Amino acid sequence: MGPLASLMRKEFLQLRRDHAMLRLVLVLPIVQLLVLSYALDNDLRNVRVSVLDEDRTPLSRGIADALWESDVFVPGPPLASGDDLARSLKVGRCDLAVRIPAGLARDVAGNRSAAIGVHVDGTNSSTGGRAAGYAEAAIARAATGRDGRVGAVRFFYNPELESRLYMVPGIIVMIATIVSAMLTGMAIVREKELGTLEQVLVTPLGSLQYVAGKSAPYALIALVDLALATGFAAVWFHVPLAGSPLVLLAGVLAYLAVTLSLGLIASVVSDTQQQAMFTVWFFLVFAIMLSGFFFPIENMPPWARVLTWLDPMRFFLAIVRGVLLRGAGFGDLARDLLVLAGMGAASFTGAVLAFRRATS
Amino acid sequence: MSGEAVLARGLTRRFGRFTAVDGIDLAVAPGEIFGFLGANGAGKTTAIRMLCGLLPPTSGEATVAGIPVGRRAVELKQRIGYMSQRFSLYEDLTVRENLEFFGGVYGLSRHRIAARVAALLPYLGLAGTENRLTASLPLGYKQRLALGCALLHEPRVVFLDEPTGGVDPLARRRFWDLIYEQAAAGVTIFVTTHYMDEAEYCGRVSIMVQGRIVALDTPAGLKATTGGRDMQDVFLRLVDR
Repeated sequence: MGPLASLMRKEFLQLRRDHAMLRLVLVLPIVQLLVLSYALDNDLRNVRVSVLDEDRTPLSRGIADALWESDVFVPGPPLASGDDLARSLKVGRCDLAVRIPAGLARDVAGNRSAAIGVHVDGTNSSTGGRAAGYAEAAIARAATGRDGRVGAVRFFYNPELESRLYMVPGIIVMIATIVSAMLTGMAIVREKELGTLEQVLVTPLGSLQYVAGKSAPYALIALVDLALATGFAAVWFHVPLAGSPLVLLAGVLAYLAVTLSLGLIASVVSDTQQQAMFTVWFFLVFAIMLSGFFFPIENMPPWARVLTWLDPMRFFLAIVRGVLLRGAGFGDLARDLLVLAGMGAASFTGAVLAFRRATS
Repeated sequence: MSGEAVLARGLTRRFGRFTAVDGIDLAVAPGEIFGFLGANGAGKTTAIRMLCGLLPPTSGEATVAGIPVGRRAVELKQRIGYMSQRFSLYEDLTVRENLEFFGGVYGLSRHRIAARVAALLPYLGLAGTENRLTASLPLGYKQRLALGCALLHEPRVVFLDEPTGGVDPLARRRFWDLIYEQAAAGVTIFVTTHYMDEAEYCGRVSIMVQGRIVALDTPAGLKATTGGRDMQDVFLRLVDR
């Protein structure tokens, strides 16, 4: 058995004895996937709509009914006056308030322009804006008796526009990132704290062997976690797994090379596990926020969009979503795969050099 | 000069403005038991770490087992064994797993590891403990296991940094029996200790004060030149001066 194999065997033996850690690593990601997939659902529903009906005609009642019939809206408390409307929005008794002015039916019948006020709680700009859009469409339909839309829109890959289908791959990516970077983040600094690193350093084991031996077991754990999470996503959340597992595996291996190596670098430069943990978290927050998981990259200011090119998670997320939802292949994801592979090679080299520098 | 197991010339290490090891010279012959004494903080551990290639010297040079320290690090590490003053084996591995791990990283073949482990376990008095977790062993056993891990690859020079700290006289005696046997087999032993009775067991002894070697001779020679009754007395006279 060569030095590298001996080191890997030792890491596995230690991991196998650490039951608490094994439980954490294998069970928590599934719990996280389940809870977050339900929690991070930003489909619009249960938006409370109150109507101030100053017209009191069949048309105005029709508009109110049309709003409440939609899946998105539920009736809010009735409104008595304009002041009441303002107060209700302010204290959060309703999310959206519609004011139908007196004379609406008469104006519509006489083909004169009419103004229905839609007042929206814009605290959350995204949901507020989307709710207003739904409300406008419903009002237009009810007031004109026609579907106001021209052109037929069809959504591909996620026909129901379920946000969960979009979020689940993101959560899988996050789990893989946290597990791999955190585990290697602790890996070397723990041996520093215990004093065992010094005993290893007097052996002829080289830096490359040490870094490779330290990352391999954690790569395997991350792979197991990813397989579990992806299987769960398919069975439980009906994420389609549209593409080739090989494309996904290529992306996973390149990405794990990045995260495991960055974890090891944090571990090499830290003197205590607390320092390593903080360093890893600091970078994780950046990686997650700039990845396009929560906030679309297209909406970021130009300088931040440039910054996302440094974020490995951005590319991995594109690969996972592409493969799972759209069935994208090697050709479609060539750019993302190449960038990730380059980042993987660079960070692994960085980890070896950092270790060599720190120990000689 | 290449005949010496350990040779240091003006070996110096500074940390910022603090000089931990200040130009030490020494020569240790193969198979010698060399006692490297000094008060806490005198610079013993820093000197040993330099000799093992764990810490680059600020200036001066050293040759260990025929290899210049600082170059050819892999060759040097193949020829030396090191036991640090803090127990530094894996507590969550068994006795056998620790031995096999160190055998593996020293590049020994599977066959050779099996043979060495089979020979070392009874030699170290560890037969019957091979499947116990290291954490569950008494300190004296752990120290013998650490010695075993340092001897596994049959090094020519072994550095032992306070190998018997904190154990009872019987355990220390057993440990020193092993040291004697190794030296008799031609292994050079470079050992630090705070026990002055142990210093009496050494062929020659150096005493370090504030980074410098202030005396270097056989225990008998040191007693004669300082007028000390025993090594304890010698040590106190030199260190307190």
